[in-house]
Amino acid sequence: MSTATATASASATGSPGASEQSQQRPTRKRRGSPVWYAFLGPPLLLLLVFVAYPTVETFRESLFRRVGTREEFVGLSQYSRLLTNPIFWKALGNTALLGVAFLVIVIPLSAVLASMLNRLRRGATPLKVIYFLPQLTSSVAVALIFNYVFQPDWGLLNGLLHRVGVDSVPLWLADPRYDFTGSRAAVTILAVWAGLGYYMLVVLAGLQSIPVDLYEAAAIDGANAFQIWRRITLPSLRPTFVFLVMTGTVDAMSRFSDLWTLGGPGGAPARSLQSVVMLMFQTGFESHDTSMAAAIAVVFFILVLGITLIAFRALLAREFREIRGSRKAR
Amino acid sequence: MNMTSVDSRTRARRSPIAWLTGSTRRYSVAGQMAIVVVLSVGALAMVLPFAWMIATSLSRQANFTMPRIPTLWPPDPSLFNYRVASTNLPIFRYYLNSIVVVGASTLGYLFFSALTGYAFAKGRFRGKQILFVAFLATLLIPFETRMIPLYALMSDLHLNDSLVALILPFLVGGFGTFLMRQHIASIPDDLIDAARQDGAGEFLIFRRIVLPLCKPALAALAIVNVIWRWNDILWPLLVISNRNLYTVTQGLAIAGRGQGIFTGVALATAALAIVPVMVVYLILQRHIIRGITTSGMKG
Repeated sequence: MSTATATASASATGSPGASEQSQQRPTRKRRGSPVWYAFLGPPLLLLLVFVAYPTVETFRESLFRRVGTREEFVGLSQYSRLLTNPIFWKALGNTALLGVAFLVIVIPLSAVLASMLNRLRRGATPLKVIYFLPQLTSSVAVALIFNYVFQPDWGLLNGLLHRVGVDSVPLWLADPRYDFTGSRAAVTILAVWAGLGYYMLVVLAGLQSIPVDLYEAAAIDGANAFQIWRRITLPSLRPTFVFLVMTGTVDAMSRFSDLWTLGGPGGAPARSLQSVVMLMFQTGFESHDTSMAAAIAVVFFILVLGITLIAFRALLAREFREIRGSRKAR
Repeated sequence: MNMTSVDSRTRARRSPIAWLTGSTRRYSVAGQMAIVVVLSVGALAMVLPFAWMIATSLSRQANFTMPRIPTLWPPDPSLFNYRVASTNLPIFRYYLNSIVVVGASTLGYLFFSALTGYAFAKGRFRGKQILFVAFLATLLIPFETRMIPLYALMSDLHLNDSLVALILPFLVGGFGTFLMRQHIASIPDDLIDAARQDGAGEFLIFRRIVLPLCKPALAALAIVNVIWRWNDILWPLLVISNRNLYTVTQGLAIAGRGQGIFTGVALATAALAIVPVMVVYLILQRHIIRGITTSGMKG
């Protein structure tokens, strides 16, 4: 079914609702009319076909093995194969390491820069536009440019290092070691560069939603700038940080495009850049082992869901009440 | 940086700087200068890679030799790399594909988000809560979890290698439904009831009253969705293998990886994919930044 037919069917079923209304009194009771099911029908069908079915199918496929043209039930053996595979653990480790490194750098950095932006009297808008520029560029394009920025001999970064007199420049993307100048460090720099603008915008929105009265009250009580920042700004930003950590963790878990552009599905060099999704992609569409790829997809799903729920429970339960409270107040 | 006490604050209200900047808070000139310097250094770091990309893409000799110290002005400015890049890949066709895919999927997404949002905000029917939870639950299922069977499904439907495959799975989403429901819930019931009294059907009310009132929320949703769809690479990589059906992002990914050794041409290809998007961004920047801020999503 295409968009056009879905739209047409929704509008077609909308009209009987209108004619029906002439017989019934137009009261609140009419809200119970079947027109709502006509509204929800087509989108629900799309969700069933393109979300619910494939999700269930992923779980099912992970329990089967393809033998020629038929499928054979193998229980959890795909999972035991997966969980004993060092390549999987390496991909999971890379994903976690890159995610943590990214968040640990980007959140404080964006908090500092957004606070500065917030205090700026003039010219905040052009700066916002500039900081957001990389975020709007696709990760593929960003990765492509950074492939050259990190080129060891003449890339922009090492070129600038040469310029300031550094002789032994890092190899960056060519160096698969766990190192502050290796491939993982390079893609972390890339991610911070690309993501900073978005994180700054969110922190800035958080800063601007802090009521001015709080600052005025603190100033009247004689608090100094640091005390105000420590006692008012930081606690007020807690929901913002929680939001960023949660969404940032899920984004980091599903990292794919930039790493794929730089290292291919295998995450070259030496699988140092292979993320979980890249391994899933490689297993499913290069090795054509769909059952194993499905098992990776299920583990990935459980991890993302687990992170979301744990984060929600540990951090958000309290904030949620506060956010709702502040929404009502506004 | 700016240790203001109550006294200095009240005094600052009449200080010339505060008067000039129209501010009621004290902003020291030195503090402002320091902020400007730090933020400008950051902004320079944001722009520098793009500037270097453009400079390199304009240099023919960049394809075989690069200066050890990077320059922002090509020694031999020419459009040679751009001619090669646009001969190598049908970039205008890719733009057309991207526009069709992003346009159709965004229009559909906005329509279904508003429609379902309206039903969940203002409708009264059995199973509303359960259906709403079901719509929201899709938010918890990452696309990557279902992409393998989705690919098989597209094959079965003979939709692989068609732009429809890039549109159809992205017409409905829990996020859009949720955002629109929140927004439509704030429209007064009286407005809708009045229209019902006048004999308007629900779809007419939706089209004539609800949709116009949702413009800001729809704009925010549209911006996020356009960015998301435009930059998607994982799904196009799976379902599109016909070179003529690539989106801009996919064309760039595959071409860029292929011509890696020709720096000038590769960066000209990147520029062809980036610069038009940036121009649109600079024109619409106010709306885009507001859309990102209100929805909290980055697309």
